Amino acid sequence: MKGIEEQTYYEILEVSPTATAKEIQMAYEHAKETFHSDSLAIYSLFSEEEIKEIQVAIEEAYRVLMDEALRKRYDQSHFQTPGGQQWEKPSEIQGVPWEKKPSLPFMDLSINTGEEVFRGKTLKQIRERMGIELKTVAAETKINMKILEWIEGETLEKLPALVYLKGFLRGYAQSLGLEPQKVIEGYVQFLNESKKR
Amino acid sequence: MENQRVVRIQNDDRKMIWTIGGGKGGSGKSFITANIGVCLSKLGVRVILIDADLGGANLHTFLGISPSTLSLSDFIKKRVSHLQEVLIPTGIPNLQLLTGAQDLLNAADTKSVQKRKLLNSIQGLEGDYILVDLGGGNALSVLDFFLMSDGGILMVTPEPTSIENTYRFLKSAFYRRLRQSVSSYQVKTLIDGAMDRKNEMGIQNPHDLLEAVMRINEGDAKRIVEETENFHPNLILNQVRSKKDIEIGFSIRSACQKYFGIHLHYLGYVVYDQEVGHSIRRRRPLVLENTQSRAAQCVKEIATKLANRHQMSFRF
Repeated sequence: MKGIEEQTYYEILEVSPTATAKEIQMAYEHAKETFHSDSLAIYSLFSEEEIKEIQVAIEEAYRVLMDEALRKRYDQSHFQTPGGQQWEKPSEIQGVPWEKKPSLPFMDLSINTGEEVFRGKTLKQIRERMGIELKTVAAETKINMKILEWIEGETLEKLPALVYLKGFLRGYAQSLGLEPQKVIEGYVQFLNESKKR
Repeated sequence: MENQRVVRIQNDDRKMIWTIGGGKGGSGKSFITANIGVCLSKLGVRVILIDADLGGANLHTFLGISPSTLSLSDFIKKRVSHLQEVLIPTGIPNLQLLTGAQDLLNAADTKSVQKRKLLNSIQGLEGDYILVDLGGGNALSVLDFFLMSDGGILMVTPEPTSIENTYRFLKSAFYRRLRQSVSSYQVKTLIDGAMDRKNEMGIQNPHDLLEAVMRINEGDAKRIVEETENFHPNLILNQVRSKKDIEIGFSIRSACQKYFGIHLHYLGYVVYDQEVGHSIRRRRPLVLENTQSRAAQCVKEIATKLANRHQMSFRF
């Protein structure tokens, strides 16, 4: 139970922190319709001031989240603790469990990954630069620590079948705020190249 | 496939009790109770409908049977020894009816022990699904019944009157649930006060209440947060006439999230359909009388969802 002023912009609009601009737009329209002063759905529930407050919050959330630069800055200040070690886990919205994590200010870390070949070494490097421990990833993703070590260590003979590996890579990528598809493609490409050799 | 499912339900002793309440008279609670009951009974599971509508118990009319001489009071007054004996057959396989529950819910002096006893007897009935039509009442016993069931369903039509009554009901149920969960007398008093928007403590909404409780009793504040997170009432929107009406269900869900901090489950909607009125006049359940009508399709969809949820509860 959070007051409107305690909710994140994502909670105000009921979207996930990884929502696309299109999703935010749709959520905004729904919120605007819902909390319109003449809206039937809120009839008798809120006081006039409460509705005003919510309306202002909705507009502000929309303004910030639709602006790429503002949104990035907002994410940085809201989902990172001063130590930079842990990422605040956003609360659940609409009863849909989130698999996605808030996207990280990845570009700011100025890691040159070249054409994004996400081989194990690269992933490990990115993770360490972010200051996230492997056991944190393991705890969050519920992926066995050993498997994570094999992925990062490029222990190819021990890696599970591709179909499972892809699932693990997806979880790993999400927990670091990387694009799962790119990570999976990159890693698979790396695997194929290793095999050729 | 269907047979397998039936066997599984019968093998397991767990039954689901759903209560249908809130809103106001005429929002379609009895209609939906009767018709969902028929839908479920057609799946081959045993269904018991309980009429606890204070305002006007007439589930029997929706099912086309005459008012029965047997009722819950025969059980309460110990004229029969087992609740099972006062169940009335409906002429529809797997579907039975229990009438007269309103008398108990209405009685001002109904002790919570007695309510608990009734609930236990109901839980002991030989059925897989039990649907209770609570009517539009707001009495404490009605709220308790709503809160004690596995799933409380609010029936709303897209009209201000219906929405107002539903929120009134939901607020009462919500605060009652909180009140039952906290231990300190001081906090209980605070919750009683919060029910009145014009209270002197300046508590305008559940969030204000939580803040006030935090200041006096941290343990109770924690319990309030937990109760809020675990309270998941359901919503059915009836008599929708447009796509915009359907959207109101989602908006009510958002409003409940913002106001109470609760997650309301939007179970579904039933379109406005003249066939509903026709079936009632013929005293035949719509889903039997006119299976292809649009409203019947909607009801069937909701019943399927409930059945699936039942399945879920077996698995987890």
